[in-house]
Amino acid sequence: MMGLASYLIISLILFVVGLVIILSRKNIVAILLGIELVLNAAALNFVAYSRYVTNNLDGHVFSLFIIAIAAAESAIGLAIVIRFFQIKETIHIDEATQLRN
Amino acid sequence: MFIELLFLTSALLTVGSAIGAAVTRNIMHSCVFLLGSLLGIAGLYATLGADFVAVSQIMVYVGGVVILMLFAVMLTGGKDFVSRAQNLLGLAPAMGNKWTYTIGLLTALVVVLTNVKLITNVVKAYPAKVIGNDFPSTVNQIGHLLVKEHVLAFELSSVLLLGALVGAAIIARPRRQG
Repeated sequence: MMGLASYLIISLILFVVGLVIILSRKNIVAILLGIELVLNAAALNFVAYSRYVTNNLDGHVFSLFIIAIAAAESAIGLAIVIRFFQIKETIHIDEATQLRN
Repeated sequence: MFIELLFLTSALLTVGSAIGAAVTRNIMHSCVFLLGSLLGIAGLYATLGADFVAVSQIMVYVGGVVILMLFAVMLTGGKDFVSRAQNLLGLAPAMGNKWTYTIGLLTALVVVLTNVKLITNVVKAYPAKVIGNDFPSTVNQIGHLLVKEHVLAFELSSVLLLGALVGAAIIARPRRQG
């Protein structure tokens, strides 16, 4: 039951769900949530390959860097969301039209 | 036996919570589902023998990112807290509309078909090895790797985190009056 394939399938499901959230939601916080799911799917793949294929710990280190970068990205993204809400009074993605024309 | 049980529980928690986060209408429920999904991924790391990564996942995500998201939702919730958008056939989840969900599902179909082909190739290339269930601690080796081979990336990530901290504080500062 446990093997490389099962981890890859779980990771694929996470990636696809994150992609669907990014593409279909209209709420900026929900889009950031989808990005977190996609990053986690990638990190899970790194650790699974590290155990079943390469047998060293470089995948773990890369996964830690992914976690750090996701935390930084999330902080910046949510700061932008709060700033956008201060300006536009909404976080609907269709209201972000300042750069149009 | 315990490992299989942990794997099954974590996998179900991860996948179920991720799908729940995709289909719920309420953004707050979506964040709580994300919490369950991240905890499940930490359990999967534990079944892979990655103890340090599992604990980092719980500390950074559950203790940091999800709390930050809940703060952002509460600070910006207001009137679109629960989406009242028209949904597909009255069944599909809202917060997008039917066009965005159609596009999302089509893209998902393409990605799934491509990836299933890739995964079958990978599984053929690396047949199932029997790997024992002894999990030595990885903390010592990860520490050596971080300060020897990956020291440049380690230092750069500290600069990145400092930049993100200062940048987030500057971007989200209160609006000037007048």
